[in-house]
Amino acid sequence: MIEVNKLIKIFEGRGQVVRAVDDVSTQVAKGEVVVIIGPSGSGKSTFLRCLNGLEEFDDGQVLIDGIDIASSKTNLNAVRREVGMVFQHFNLFPHKTVLENVTLAQRVVRKRKPAEALDKAMALLTKVGIAEKANEYPSRLSGGQQQRVAIARALAMDPKVMLFDEPTSALDPEMVGEVLDVMKQLAREGMTMAVVTHEMGFAREVAHRVLFMDAGKVLEDAPPDRFFTAPSEPRAQAFLKQVL
Amino acid sequence: MALRRQVAQWPWQGLLVIILLGLAIGLWIATKQVNYEWRWERVPQYFAYQDEELQTAPFAGTVINIGPAGDSIQVAIQSEQGGLPVTVTVETATLKVAVGAQVSEDDEIGVMERKWRVGPLTQGLWVTIWISFVSGFFGLIIGLITGLCRISKNPTLRGLSVLYIELIRGTPLLVQIFIFYFFIGTVLHLDRIVAGVGALSLFVGAYTAEIIRAGIQSIPKGQSEAARSLGMSAAETMIHIVLPQAFKRVLPPLAGQFISLIKDSSLVSVIAITDLTKSGREIITSSFATFEIWFTVALLYLVVTSVLSQLLFWLERRFARSD
Repeated sequence: MIEVNKLIKIFEGRGQVVRAVDDVSTQVAKGEVVVIIGPSGSGKSTFLRCLNGLEEFDDGQVLIDGIDIASSKTNLNAVRREVGMVFQHFNLFPHKTVLENVTLAQRVVRKRKPAEALDKAMALLTKVGIAEKANEYPSRLSGGQQQRVAIARALAMDPKVMLFDEPTSALDPEMVGEVLDVMKQLAREGMTMAVVTHEMGFAREVAHRVLFMDAGKVLEDAPPDRFFTAPSEPRAQAFLKQVL
Repeated sequence: MALRRQVAQWPWQGLLVIILLGLAIGLWIATKQVNYEWRWERVPQYFAYQDEELQTAPFAGTVINIGPAGDSIQVAIQSEQGGLPVTVTVETATLKVAVGAQVSEDDEIGVMERKWRVGPLTQGLWVTIWISFVSGFFGLIIGLITGLCRISKNPTLRGLSVLYIELIRGTPLLVQIFIFYFFIGTVLHLDRIVAGVGALSLFVGAYTAEIIRAGIQSIPKGQSEAARSLGMSAAETMIHIVLPQAFKRVLPPLAGQFISLIKDSSLVSVIAITDLTKSGREIITSSFATFEIWFTVALLYLVVTSVLSQLLFWLERRFARSD
């Protein structure tokens, strides 16, 4: 579903050159859940943002469902429809109600009829357990509720892949669970997911594969039970010692 | 003892009243010094006045009959050349002729119908309001387009918008109005009103552009990233996500800009557009009530700007619903 070949992303600024993503190649199969972990500044968020073109990468190739997103013939907006993304800071539209947040892109991008978009939105809001807040503005919701709305908003486009960029990092501890539960349910339903997270429990429970990144490189690519019990890389061992 | 102490407010409020009273007395003494005679009673007629419609004889002839007709009087006049008599209707109290009187053409018979007419102050106020409104409308459109060009990736659009903004912000409005009227207006054969509105629109557009640019740039990047990640195009993101939020934020500075515009519009009086300021100047030449008229003109500007600022304040509160 996702194929990445020799991806390179370089940040330049103030005389410094940072290779945020340094020659990364990997793939995510349909229905697979891949969790990307690593210390902060290791390039995992940048890598994830390259997958839907939010970050313009410098070299390499990203194929979504066989479509090269960097090709000049590709309509990037059409690709992004198929790739849902959930952000660390939710990024809900504050001037729209919860319901409008979920229906807007359906109407504008998918050209769905208002009634159809509404039905879809209510079904998804019910699924993430927040239907009763449909007519509230996002500022009236807790962080966990906002993140669940953001997930519903992404799902409303019927994406083939979901990208999660540290979805629980900005949440109060007691709200992490409700968001993880929604993500676990999605994984069980067979959604293809790429998740950047610090939630080791989630990685252990849900992931099919764990990628460990450091300094822009993927150092470890293993199933969770092997990664958490017997990591081969010394840097992965050191990282696990810190977080577990 | 609490850190927060109750301080009596009334001595300060009293001081405020005393200062204001002092200012008023000072003003009164100052006008006494220059032997100014206040004639406030002359001012109302410049808002609206009753026009007397003089009724005159249509031709030379004789008044053959005078008879009441409701509240007024009908005067029948027979022409010297013969033919049917013509009746003229006038108000009873103003009748100037008697039966059998000889009248020549255009002689006054009386006055009919005192009509209320709009005075020059009201007309000037109306011109000021609509010129400001039209200029504000075009200025907003120009500002929106220029603001978007200013943050565009295209160097041509960016360069043009920067040049325009710098030109307008770096020169006085009065000079711009003269250039617009005497140069551009002459070349393109523009009416003075068009030249005035054009100059004001370009002026307010440059300031609005900077306000809108700042508003757009104040919206967090995550908002457009979220919209783009849903597959919206750059234009759709701008229209549905960024501009509505930016507009809400820039409403207070925009309001200030439009209030300035109403005041700045007084400068178009230099190209002989009869706005509120020019009306005031014209009235003074006939009434000699210099102080009263200028105070009245100032008050009228104050009323218009206060109403606008209340209106925008109300709009702002409505937009604040989602906060």
